[in-house]
Amino acid sequence: MTTTFDPASLPSLEQQTKTRPWRQRTTKFDVSVAIAVAVPMMIVIGMFLFSDIPGALVLVIYLPLQMFASGCAAVATKGKRGILDSVIIVNAVGASIFTFVIIFSVLWSLVSKGLKALSIPFLTQNSTYISPSTPLEYGGMAHAALGTLIVVAISALIAVPIGIATAIYITEVRGKAVPYVRFFVQSMSGVPSVVAGLFILTTLILTGAINTSAFAGGLAYAVLMLPTVARTAEEVLRLVPDDLRTGALALGSTRARTVLQVVLPAAKTGIVTAIILGIARVIGETAPLLMTSGKNDATVANPFSDPISTLPVSIFENVAQPYPDAVTRAWGAALILMVLVAILFTVARLLGRNKIK
Amino acid sequence: MSTAEFEQSVVALEQEFSVPAQQGPVELEARDLSVWFNSRKVLEGVNLAFPKNTVTALIGPSGCGKSTFIRTLNRLHELLPGAALAGEVLYEGEDIYGPTKDPVHIRLSIGMVFQKPNPFPSMTIRGNVLSGLKLSGMKRSNHDEIVEQTLISAGLWNEVKDRLGHAAGELSGGQQQRLVIARALAVQPHVLLMDEPCSALDPASTLKIEETIRELSKDITIVIVTHNMQQAVRVADYTAFFLAAENEPGRVIEQGRTTEIFGNPQDQRTLDYVNGRFG
Repeated sequence: MTTTFDPASLPSLEQQTKTRPWRQRTTKFDVSVAIAVAVPMMIVIGMFLFSDIPGALVLVIYLPLQMFASGCAAVATKGKRGILDSVIIVNAVGASIFTFVIIFSVLWSLVSKGLKALSIPFLTQNSTYISPSTPLEYGGMAHAALGTLIVVAISALIAVPIGIATAIYITEVRGKAVPYVRFFVQSMSGVPSVVAGLFILTTLILTGAINTSAFAGGLAYAVLMLPTVARTAEEVLRLVPDDLRTGALALGSTRARTVLQVVLPAAKTGIVTAIILGIARVIGETAPLLMTSGKNDATVANPFSDPISTLPVSIFENVAQPYPDAVTRAWGAALILMVLVAILFTVARLLGRNKIK
Repeated sequence: MSTAEFEQSVVALEQEFSVPAQQGPVELEARDLSVWFNSRKVLEGVNLAFPKNTVTALIGPSGCGKSTFIRTLNRLHELLPGAALAGEVLYEGEDIYGPTKDPVHIRLSIGMVFQKPNPFPSMTIRGNVLSGLKLSGMKRSNHDEIVEQTLISAGLWNEVKDRLGHAAGELSGGQQQRLVIARALAVQPHVLLMDEPCSALDPASTLKIEETIRELSKDITIVIVTHNMQQAVRVADYTAFFLAAENEPGRVIEQGRTTEIFGNPQDQRTLDYVNGRFG
């Protein structure tokens, strides 16, 4: 015997209203939460206003106090099993607020101090005839921004293809040398940036093979960028399901076509992430550029001929000067660098988006 | 009428009305095939012939080596680490494991559909159907026709004809499976290996696929692994029963015409299996 659906036998469905039973809260819960939020807050404010305990210490006291209060509220509403929940939630929220505050304060100091330097000339002029004591109205960072773009472009042109090729060797070719290649790539990611600069300086510049130039800087950056790109690309290629590779091979595809037309497109967004992380790894590095691309007050477009200024190097030079305007210039350069990074990453994300929807 | 007389008359009837036991020439044949993963032998002494333009079902309980066997037929087995084999697989009379054979060419003639649908996520529905042509470097001009024909064959055309440019990932699992069947057909293989192609499909899609298999078998040879007995009866001309005893490699226990395997099996284990008494 089975039951069949008969609309007539049901109570009229129009009378049903939409509810969200899982969101129902009792008064007890609301009151407990209100007390758990208000009491520690009042204690901390009270300590802040009426005691000699330093403000920073009061903030340190706040987190355990809030944890204890939330724990009590949890016991009142959910019983013992609520304690761990509340402790974890308070910790997670506290830690994320802490992180947010730090990031925000860095951004704020950058924007507030950098904005003072920003002006049309600052964005369009170079620093020819500008000394550290020259007022802010004269000179700009356009040459350094261009220099950074050239150096990063050169390093990306070198490191991205090699890095992706390395990842393909490790995950797709799976040759005999894989353990050694992985070991060296991992070791490379531990190389201090100053060593990368020294490497290019001693092997290529001091031997006279190339000039102190954007190209030399790009080579030093490439040494740093390569392991990041290779390791991230390896991780994302590993995530491509083997089903796709087998499926392509079963259609009579060669291994090369499988990699180029199936595996890499499937990992496209991940590959873009690898490139972004690689650029992020190097774009603010100063030490290698001091030795390889140097500085130049004039605008240089030829990446092989002359030394070239870059934003990190300009920041480094200006920030140590005993003139407030020079320091402000450094902040301005830092702001430009940050905006440049934001633009680069947005463009990369847009390009890497999956076209098919 | 005595039993012997009855059997005689059955044999006479069969000879009169049914197809001969061997339809045309053998297209694909496994000879004394044994397969290993590292030191573990998973298949032993398989001798199976697949006559041209017929459907052969491989049945047997899980873990008896059916999927492994089917993967040796188009050289996908060798992609797994630790894989090894002995014996030979003859395609059109030549060993596909011969020293001059290129696996890419073999796989182009011997296509495969897998248990889990694996459309390429970076391609559109249309792109997926045509991906085989692109991946194998085939030059064809009548792309629209190929897309329509193969999708009709796979029973998917009506559902996707208005959104060929959409991502393959937005199709349901059953639709994806029919899409990869269309993809396998687009390169016009001579043999199609199907590893439980309907295990993720609803009954209606399964029926469509089975119709497709019957239709295709006029032109190509099909080998299908299935756990569904009714399916084997419905689509297959021949059936081979695989079985692996505990801690022993899988073997072909019995093979022959599907009607024989299901109607009059010679081995007790086959009888038990096809009647659902184990496995």
